[in-house]
Amino acid sequence: MRRVAVWFGASGGSKHEEKTMKLGALVLLAAVFVGGAAHADRLDDIKKAGVLRVAAFDSNPPFGYVDEKSRQIVGLDVDYAKAFADKLGVKLELRPTNPANRVPLLTSGNVDLVLANFTITDERAKQVDFSVPYFSSGQQFLAKKGVLSSPDQLNSLRIGADKGTVNEIVLRRDFPGATIVSYDDTPFAFTALRNGNVQAITQDGPKLVGLLANVPDKENYEIPAFTISNDYIGVGIPKGETALVEFVNETLTELEASGKAQEIYDVWFGPNSKTPLPRLFKIGDAKTN
Amino acid sequence: MDLSIFGLASIYVEWLLWGFGVTLLLSAATCVAATLGGLVICAARISPLRVFSIPARIYLAIFRNTPLLVQIFFWYFAGSAIFPTPLLDWFNNPHTVTIAPAGTTWLSFKLPSFEFWAGFVSLTFYTTAFIAEEFRSGLRAVDAGQREGGLSLGLSPALVFILIIVPQATRHAFAPLLGQYMNAIKNSSLTMAIGVAELSYASRQVETETFQTFEAFGIATILYIFAVAVVEAIGELVQRRRDRKYGRGAVT
Amino acid sequence: MNFDVVWNNLPYLLWGAWPQGPLGGAALTIVLSLFSGIASAVIGLVLGVWLFMARGIVHTVLLLFLSFFRSIPVLMLIFWTYFLLPVALGFSVPELATVVCALAFIGGAYLAHGVAAGLRSVGGGQWEAGISLGLGRWRVLRLIILPQSLRRMAPSFVNQWVALIKDTSLAYVIGVPELSFVATQVNNRAMVYPAEIFLFVAAVYFVICGALDLVAGAVAGKEREHTRGDKAAKTAS
Repeated sequence: MRRVAVWFGASGGSKHEEKTMKLGALVLLAAVFVGGAAHADRLDDIKKAGVLRVAAFDSNPPFGYVDEKSRQIVGLDVDYAKAFADKLGVKLELRPTNPANRVPLLTSGNVDLVLANFTITDERAKQVDFSVPYFSSGQQFLAKKGVLSSPDQLNSLRIGADKGTVNEIVLRRDFPGATIVSYDDTPFAFTALRNGNVQAITQDGPKLVGLLANVPDKENYEIPAFTISNDYIGVGIPKGETALVEFVNETLTELEASGKAQEIYDVWFGPNSKTPLPRLFKIGDAKTN
Repeated sequence: MDLSIFGLASIYVEWLLWGFGVTLLLSAATCVAATLGGLVICAARISPLRVFSIPARIYLAIFRNTPLLVQIFFWYFAGSAIFPTPLLDWFNNPHTVTIAPAGTTWLSFKLPSFEFWAGFVSLTFYTTAFIAEEFRSGLRAVDAGQREGGLSLGLSPALVFILIIVPQATRHAFAPLLGQYMNAIKNSSLTMAIGVAELSYASRQVETETFQTFEAFGIATILYIFAVAVVEAIGELVQRRRDRKYGRGAVT
Repeated sequence: MNFDVVWNNLPYLLWGAWPQGPLGGAALTIVLSLFSGIASAVIGLVLGVWLFMARGIVHTVLLLFLSFFRSIPVLMLIFWTYFLLPVALGFSVPELATVVCALAFIGGAYLAHGVAAGLRSVGGGQWEAGISLGLGRWRVLRLIILPQSLRRMAPSFVNQWVALIKDTSLAYVIGVPELSFVATQVNNRAMVYPAEIFLFVAAVYFVICGALDLVAGAVAGKEREHTRGDKAAKTAS
């Protein structure tokens, strides 16, 4: 017990927890502020350092995954990251991330950008800034054939989701009857599905298509043709870095205008790719929901 | 009931407390099973029969020298290949146990899901190996003279072991055993990797929904320290009572 | 069992994307273990000696400091240092440094107690002898007590280092591409060979930990030859 008492004591006595908590937050805020002032502009820092640090997925083809031959992270998100680094004329440094680490990676300043199938939400926008959307997808499900055909069934199923995703939050909010088990990353959830621990898994449609394309026995699984929400994917940027946001948005618009965005899309989702999907959303399109 | 604390909304504190409950349940179950397992492995390890001692040695070497995380991944992901299908199906389908004597439901609860069992199995196998070694060093700490004394009193070797050696060894092994229990509490946090909804998992979930990282991790950390401190306090209490009973010199 | 998946990814599992990218896999596990092992030994020795020599309030504070690191799960400490420390400090800490720091402090906290216990185990007569020779407390410690007790502490150092090697696997949670992390990447891609992949990974850790054990055993064996009849050394084996 002694130890607990002092744990509180270290921050000023257990009766004044709340007060000290606020004080602590203030000190923290001051530290952030001072820190922020020292790094007035991240874009300049990136140019000065000559390195752009980007968090990308490492297990989610075709957005970001480790290529078996080259042992490097590749994918659609990585191609966009490369385009940013090239335009800045700096080196690209990729950090692998899982869904749950994306926001903390930005708020802690450990990366400059997150390109990891990052859905734009109001809640997240309070913590981090987003670029204009560069990809759009709907939340879908993957299940063994014949298990799932309509959203009504979701309330009675055990469903695997990814920790720290919007999918998880939407499912918990809209289908309170469903039992949700959250995993570190989509392939973990898929293994749980394969082993029968969950009856369906949920993710953005294109990610599920990409996953299924690499499953050795894909004929046993299906992605039922309904979506429960429509998501817009943007680049995650540390809060308050207006110059960096501007740079990213400008570059995205240029990539679309020059046809480079279409090129990147076709590499990963084009008709000759492993996961052909029609391109319904272009950078600059108005959001439809 | 309003549980909000540190500016974290009540519902999220509830999530954390649920997670804490799972942590306690998981680690308590692990401690019980691993103590029994530890006794068995320890007995096999010190057995003069090689059929017992060699497998025990192999078990100890493997489970002590590989990371728990890898063991957890192994049991969870490779579990379907190892466990027979009926058992796996049973684990995967939620079960409700109802105790209803004379038609009235007296107690009804849901059995935990597969990831809980996978976490329990991996934690138990891991902790068993460490507890077995604590028992063994407890036995070694008993002075050889004690055994000779018992034998010279005319007791059989088995009786000497049970009546003289084991009680003393238990006393020597007590503090290290509690140390392993504390490790079990802390180690249970690794099961979040396979989706067990324990405290660390809950803290990340709260963080996802609220982005109050500081509060979520802070409360979780305090709860862990609290649980470990309680085990330590129990240890001190028992130790003190025993010191009074046997005098300070009895436990070294 | 089909170990092709292991063979096909062997370079990645052993040294990650190196030399085209950062060092990873088993090689990074060894590097992390080495750094955190050395740092934990230094922290353990310094804090252990301090714990042994300190009295009163300093002793209590030190004890509480150590208790904190002994009661917090490694996973939680890694989260704190990686995601929250930068917010408090105002600059980011590289992930490798984060992991080494977290592991070194936890390992060091355990070792400090081992060191203090080892120092206590040296008889009071030694102290009296040293002080009667006119040496100060610190000099007695350095010249007489520490050299004797270091040998008795050796087993707890080895145990702690084995624990450290295993704990480097927790760097997985912040995306450090050490062995366990790259293994989950390979597992995520191959999807149907988890048993093969994790058995192989377990075997690699087993070899690394076993190698440390063997080296420590060989060193201890040599030591014992020098100190035949020393009861402490005999029971420590």
